[in-house]
Amino acid sequence: MVTPIDIIKKKRAEAVNRIISKGYLSTKRVYVGMATCEIAAGSKEVMGEFRQAIANGLTDVYLSQKGCAGRCNLEPTVEVVEEGKIPVKYGKVTPERAREIVERHLKKGEVISEWLI
Amino acid sequence: MADKITIFINDKEYQVDAGQTIMQAADKLGFHIPRLCYHPKLSIEGSCRVCIVEVEGARNYVASCSFPVSDGMKIHTNSQGVRKARRDIIELILDNHPLDCHTCERDGNCELQRLAASVGIRARHFEGEKKCYDKDLSSDAVIRDPNKCILCGRCVRMCSEVQEVHNLTQAHRGFSTVVMPAYNMPMDNSVCTNCGQCINVCPTAAFLEKNYTQELFEKLNDPDIIKVAQFAPSVRAAIGEAFGLAPGRNMEGELVAALRKLGFDYVFDTQFAADLTIMEEGSEFLERVQNGGKLPMITSCSSAWMKCVEQFYPDLLDNISTCKSPMSMQSALTKSYFAQKLGVDPEKILSVAVMCCTAKKYEAARPELEVDGLRSTDIVITTREAAWMIKSAGIDLLNITPEEPDHPLGESSGAGAIFGTTGGVMEAAIRTAYELYTGETLVDIEVEAIRGLKGIKEGKIVMDGQEIRVAVAHGLGNTNQLMETIRKEPDKYHFVEIMGCPGGCVGGGGQPYAQANTIPLDEEALQQRAQALYDLDRGKTIRRSHDNPDVQKLYKEFLQSPLSPVSHKYLHTHYQAKTPKGIVPKETKTGV
Amino acid sequence: MKEKFKLTLCDGPSCIHNQSKEIRAALEAELSQHGLADQVSIHLSGCLGMCKQGPILIVNPGFTMYGKVEVADIPNIVKSHLVEGSPVAEKVIREDHLYNRFFRIFGDVDFFGKQMRITLRNCGIIDPENIDDYLSVRGYEALAKVLTDMKPEDVVAEVKKAGLRGRGGAGFPTGLKWEFTANQESDEKYVICNADEGDPGAFMDRSAIEGDPHTVLEGIIIGGYAIGASKGIVYIRAEYPLAIERLEKAIAAAKEHGFLGDNILGSDFSFDIEIRLGAGAFVCGEETALIHSIEGSRGMPRPRPPYPSVSGLFGKPTLINNVESWANIPVIVLDGGDWFSTIGTETSKGTKVFALAGMVHNTGLVEVPMGTTLREIVYDIGGGIPNDKAFKAIQTGGPSGGCLPAEYLDTEIDYESLAKAGSIMGSGGMIVIDEDACMVGLAKFFIEFTQDESCGKCTPCREGTKRMLEILTRITEGKGKEGDIEKLERLGHMIKNASLCGLGQSAPNPVLSTIKNFREEYEEHIRDKKCSAGQCSALLSYVVNDNCVGCGACKRICPVNAVEGTRKEKHVIDQDKCIRCGQCYDVCKFDAITKA
Repeated sequence: MVTPIDIIKKKRAEAVNRIISKGYLSTKRVYVGMATCEIAAGSKEVMGEFRQAIANGLTDVYLSQKGCAGRCNLEPTVEVVEEGKIPVKYGKVTPERAREIVERHLKKGEVISEWLI
Repeated sequence: MADKITIFINDKEYQVDAGQTIMQAADKLGFHIPRLCYHPKLSIEGSCRVCIVEVEGARNYVASCSFPVSDGMKIHTNSQGVRKARRDIIELILDNHPLDCHTCERDGNCELQRLAASVGIRARHFEGEKKCYDKDLSSDAVIRDPNKCILCGRCVRMCSEVQEVHNLTQAHRGFSTVVMPAYNMPMDNSVCTNCGQCINVCPTAAFLEKNYTQELFEKLNDPDIIKVAQFAPSVRAAIGEAFGLAPGRNMEGELVAALRKLGFDYVFDTQFAADLTIMEEGSEFLERVQNGGKLPMITSCSSAWMKCVEQFYPDLLDNISTCKSPMSMQSALTKSYFAQKLGVDPEKILSVAVMCCTAKKYEAARPELEVDGLRSTDIVITTREAAWMIKSAGIDLLNITPEEPDHPLGESSGAGAIFGTTGGVMEAAIRTAYELYTGETLVDIEVEAIRGLKGIKEGKIVMDGQEIRVAVAHGLGNTNQLMETIRKEPDKYHFVEIMGCPGGCVGGGGQPYAQANTIPLDEEALQQRAQALYDLDRGKTIRRSHDNPDVQKLYKEFLQSPLSPVSHKYLHTHYQAKTPKGIVPKETKTGV
Repeated sequence: MKEKFKLTLCDGPSCIHNQSKEIRAALEAELSQHGLADQVSIHLSGCLGMCKQGPILIVNPGFTMYGKVEVADIPNIVKSHLVEGSPVAEKVIREDHLYNRFFRIFGDVDFFGKQMRITLRNCGIIDPENIDDYLSVRGYEALAKVLTDMKPEDVVAEVKKAGLRGRGGAGFPTGLKWEFTANQESDEKYVICNADEGDPGAFMDRSAIEGDPHTVLEGIIIGGYAIGASKGIVYIRAEYPLAIERLEKAIAAAKEHGFLGDNILGSDFSFDIEIRLGAGAFVCGEETALIHSIEGSRGMPRPRPPYPSVSGLFGKPTLINNVESWANIPVIVLDGGDWFSTIGTETSKGTKVFALAGMVHNTGLVEVPMGTTLREIVYDIGGGIPNDKAFKAIQTGGPSGGCLPAEYLDTEIDYESLAKAGSIMGSGGMIVIDEDACMVGLAKFFIEFTQDESCGKCTPCREGTKRMLEILTRITEGKGKEGDIEKLERLGHMIKNASLCGLGQSAPNPVLSTIKNFREEYEEHIRDKKCSAGQCSALLSYVVNDNCVGCGACKRICPVNAVEGTRKEKHVIDQDKCIRCGQCYDVCKFDAITKA
């Protein structure tokens, strides 16, 4: 008999595979806060910049939205996570900053320390 | 048998039934906890907070109207804290009340006044802004004064739970909360049926009937007009209460005498027209039965019901009897048959109706009830207004020598008397229809099955082998249910009696206010008023409408026969679908 | 030198007891010995919820978690892991808990350090619109576990064991509520998620739904199974369009995967969830008003009993819990009620989310274990008060709560301690107030809100709060009278004791608590017609001092021509004309106008 637990384990494995197939194992994972508060602070535009960068050929990046982590006065927030490295968390990201994060961090690996949370 | 539990009220131990509220238990033990929004016929609102008591161990004071007793509960109804809080609550209500008691219609008969006196408010601490709204004087029958409203919600619950009209609701929030019809429509363009039950349950003067007493006093002093009064069956059974009598005293003779003393030239009895209604309605019913007319036939005497049916049951309009109400028949004859007898111009006659009803004020103004362009009933006053006029004119109703109504429109049978209570019209109709149909006299003329205060009553009678199924509903909520049944099962009944008010006319919206320490629309009081009418019926030699000699004479001299063209001109009418603002469209009502 | 590692050391009471302080000292010594002091940072976290394994040390990157760390282990960990790069395998613990996952990403930020994330465990680390993300973090496993191994009464027992209490504010034991509802015999029962978040400044429900909607859904489905309901309703205010959109997407995805609908995950349990939108009335957060609103009636509370667990939506037994409560359920099921009950205080278990706002450096959502002190929240998480201002009070519980002065800063937060201090937990609003605030004005602000939002049904709340507002207004306008404070107290206690619902019963709290703790401010307003905080404009006067150079800027801007004076000479403000708008004060470049 297949139990609900069996079903859920299978579903989880499938889900993980789907995530991986979207490039989760890329070297850099970028998360953009997209809750109402973040959007109000301008995160849609920030997300737009990252999307644009990928459309313009930026590779090896897994871009995802996320909910609000709770750091209200530093929104919008963006995290860049690399396996084996300490996750990098940027606060008060503007479209301009997003463009710079793409150029300096995502393309050249430079952590822009003055914008860190 | 309910389980017995032990409770303590003010440190005294009592055994009481489980499963009741603190207030119910306390009432039975002789502790009257002050209350305002509570009414036994209505759902528990818990809004006024006047009935709070202290329960040991509870975080806050609890509303005794809603909180159930439990074993070992220690209740304090009069602790210092509760008394002070209760007093402050009532003071807060007063702070947002006009406090124009001496010019208020309910002065001396206001629950808020009595309550304030009973908790001993002698100083004021919190006065501030008061609400300020316009009165809604649009309706011919019911006027609304939001400034007097203390938001107990009794009218809202009466209108929606008992009458199921849903005209009234609270609107807005906080300090701006106000009771109004949907979309703040004026009352005359709302779904209000003018039943006046909101007035009956209102503790203050937020709802009142439109008052015509000043106008009437003026007319009574006019020597050039002939002043004719009629009074409804249930007025005589209730008006004594306005003079301090217990419910159920028949004041017919006293009332006739008082009306004459007020200045009326002729005092007729609406019971005469009730007998006439039976002749017409009974004949109409038989005609429908014999000629395959629309059944069930539904009575049309109740004015609130007639507005209700036009609004909510336009699909059933063909089922409604074409008979006018007794009041309108009486008035039509006053200005035709009686005017001819007197040899005067009907325009010289002032036709006044003393009614237990507020909706009759609305009915009197209906254009379709005019005869030859002349309004039949000029002024309608309620039992309450009549009582006030009698007092105001210095007439001692209680010690007056009783008098008889005038002829030719004053004689009545016992059947006419019981019109004033639920089931009475049906019972009267059965007495006459049976005889008209079978040619035999009905022996057992008291139809117990359709007496009493059950919401919907059913009965059966066999006439020449044919079973006639009848149903009776009183109060528009019960009526609602009955109409839904009829929509689903059109063949279930042959004849249906509807009265818009709980208990029928004895519980009308124009009846005297409840006295101190009594409850408006108290079932016992309604039964006693009804009993007065049943006693009146039993005391009469003539107990069938068709045996009324004045009625027989009227047909001989004027109307020819029931349903004749003359009868149709004066005694019958028609009704039309109505759609006031805010009404639920017909398609969305269930069953259509 | 660039930072290579970030260490997080558990600083919960149990770990402190197990010598985490000593461990930190040993770490620092060892690091400097290896010359790593500037490449490794040490952060303290609040209780990580693994007290049995404590003290806990987390090494990032890699999220390597060491358990039962002793001082003697430190040299080996530093040498092997931090210098040579190979973790000390025998000390590593591999517990897959649902909570505190976000430490992988956020563990090194002090703002998050003292937090413990159960409710908001996935908020900010997964994509809320992708069910795969939720599935990958053991999403819906709790539901599967319940359907596989647990009878409804087992689920109720687990929730009871956890000691979870209602997060909507009143703190009623959730397990008991479930048990009452489960025990009712009825052909139909309902489960409701109360997402009618109305406290000004509180947004944890919105954030939870926007950040992790599936957790809430999973909790509701489990609740439905536990009490025997087949229908769930999320009542959410229409002002939350994004939350609604994400909920809708989540419900659709859950249906697609068979987590909702008929025969969930192949079991014989069927359940569905519907969204109902509220029009934004504050009172509709009260459960009976909420039920009326769903039924299509005016949102007004009714007296209880009967409680919704007996007679709720459409007269059927109904289980209502708040969003935050629901979000705890999957964790309780997977990690166990026993574990959950180890977090928090004697009477209040688990964590609570607070919306930290006002005069602190770091504002935002904060989830901390019960028992955390107000001081920790204000200073360790909130980062203290900006501009070197003094702490004056902390307002908890939104418009229903109270203001606590500095002496309560070390209060360990739980339902009872806050109530004892004269405030409430409420839905979790937390406003830090500095010395510039006028407490009378603050009380007036809150009572204005509750008066506005009163449903108008019961007398004490409808009329009483209005009178309180009038009295407060006249006090702030310098028209206060002797005896006004006593009137406020008299009204306040009556309203608390006699109102129909929680709104009225708590509405006077801001006034009563500020009178209790800041009575002298009220007296100053009434007797001296003075507002020391300088907030009550009617009590202020603007006076020109000797700094005035006679530039005329104030004269030009004054809307009522109250400033007089010739150019280059000291100006004067006519106090009778002055309307205290403050424009002269703002425009003056020479600090020549004194506000007093």
